[in-house]
Amino acid sequence: MKVGFIGLGVMGRPMALHLKAAGHDVRVWARRPETLAGLDLPAAETPAALGAACDVVFTMITSSADVETVALGEHGLIHGMAPGSVLIDCSTISPESARNIAAKLAEKGIAMLDAPVSGGVQGAIDATLAIMAGGDAGVLARVRPLLDCLGRRIVHVGPNGAGQVAKACNQMIMVAAIQAAAEAMRLAAASGVDCGKVQQALAGGSAASRVLEVMGQRMVDRNFAAGIEARLHHKDYGLVLEAARRAGVPVPLTTAVAQQLNALMAQGWGRDDTASLLRVLEQQ
Amino acid sequence: MKIGFIGLGIMGRPMALNLLKGGHDVRVWARRAESMQPLLNAGATAAASTAEVASDRELVISMVADAPDVAEVMRGVASAGVPCLVAVDMSTIAPAAARSIGAELADAGVDFLDAPVSGGEVGAIAGTLSIMAGGSAAAFARAEPAFACMGKNIVHVGDSGAGQVAKAANQIVTGMGVLAVAEAFAFASKNGVDRSKVREALLGGFAYSKILENHGQRMLDRNFKPGFKSWMHEKDLNIVMQTAHELGLCLPGSAATAQMFNAMVGSAHGEEDSIAVLKLLELLSGQADAAK
Repeated sequence: MKVGFIGLGVMGRPMALHLKAAGHDVRVWARRPETLAGLDLPAAETPAALGAACDVVFTMITSSADVETVALGEHGLIHGMAPGSVLIDCSTISPESARNIAAKLAEKGIAMLDAPVSGGVQGAIDATLAIMAGGDAGVLARVRPLLDCLGRRIVHVGPNGAGQVAKACNQMIMVAAIQAAAEAMRLAAASGVDCGKVQQALAGGSAASRVLEVMGQRMVDRNFAAGIEARLHHKDYGLVLEAARRAGVPVPLTTAVAQQLNALMAQGWGRDDTASLLRVLEQQ
Repeated sequence: MKIGFIGLGIMGRPMALNLLKGGHDVRVWARRAESMQPLLNAGATAAASTAEVASDRELVISMVADAPDVAEVMRGVASAGVPCLVAVDMSTIAPAAARSIGAELADAGVDFLDAPVSGGEVGAIAGTLSIMAGGSAAAFARAEPAFACMGKNIVHVGDSGAGQVAKAANQIVTGMGVLAVAEAFAFASKNGVDRSKVREALLGGFAYSKILENHGQRMLDRNFKPGFKSWMHEKDLNIVMQTAHELGLCLPGSAATAQMFNAMVGSAHGEEDSIAVLKLLELLSGQADAAK
């Protein structure tokens, strides 16, 4: 299949390479051509040109505004993609923005799936991402072989936007768990107890979690180099709180965690790992 | 002074009336033509557009709902091309939005002030609003005679956006203040103590505040008629929390308070006064008998 890919950052690059390795004809577009260095993939001049040459286009970009520009902007995908082709947006953006882009593309007969992922850089490299898809079930069935190249657990959550809602829920739980792990580590250390032993002890019990395993280990090792840059979680928390506000749903824990993320950003740790929430507590 | 006034809602109408009472020549515009009638009866003239409301004026004031409305009406005002015009927005919007509107108007040769108010409908009618202004000292000096008709405590806080920063700070204090009084009352009742006596006792000490006095009394009376609607306080606290997100600012108290008001809007209490947060607390704490 002819597959386009936009957004070749730490997540997008291994994803594009998996598609290539599976035998697909992968082409790319990048806002900054230097991000294509070392990638042996044909590059298009504009998103529209890329869209015109592909059956399916993936996007993996940071913000709602950037996805909207790439999809709907002056030289956006909408001006190139043929009716019947599919945009798969793996970025984490607001559900509202995802629905809006899908509606605009649908007017031209172009299908869209919001398909945000969880699993981080390692999950992208290992092709073990969890993929939460929103959009038409038939469209998902058509492109499922492509998604199978990227992840293990692919769930059709519901119509357009539903994938982003699921991702927002994922981020709420995950970052709150990181905060909980940080508080536990902080309490252990302040009580004169070895954090590493506590983390080990907890791994066998009811508090065991992936976050405690991975982020907890980073806290024990005081290794704050990014796995996932905290600024991305901070951005996602903005989306979560906005969605909660629109729904009129109180999220008291999420908002408390969001304040710790704000403090983290103020310390200049946005490009470090979110395990840095421990360092915020140590300052308080 | 020749003044244009845009936005004649609960706040804007009495403010414009006070300008007329102060002897100013007032021209009005409102999205819904019928809301202009009380002002026309009182001697104002009507404009057909936001551009017309500005033509031949020295000062134009807006009092509308949200930032996109302010941007839109101010674009109309600027399009009139009136030389040396001062434009004042008295709505509550985000500081960043106010700065951006100010910059856009400066490019069009209009001197812009953000001058949000505190004091509610009562203060607007009585002409006793607190007015917190951001922008140039020259524009503030020119707007001051108009401010004096509408408010009492009038402060030039700083540069463009500073008025909205002060207003956001005001909403932090009032939002948490209302929640604090409501929590104190729920605490007293659940302990089997008469909350009205608690209020009385507290009024003499360091916990004294206008909110304890006025909002507290309305809570005792279970008078939840607005006043200041819950959804508006939610909107204002959202401005606070968005700004905190953008700046990297840790505001745990405001964040928790904002979620209570979020819950108010989500549970159909949005049109009630923000003191109805008391009912939500009573419900959560199993004081359902009181929570009516």
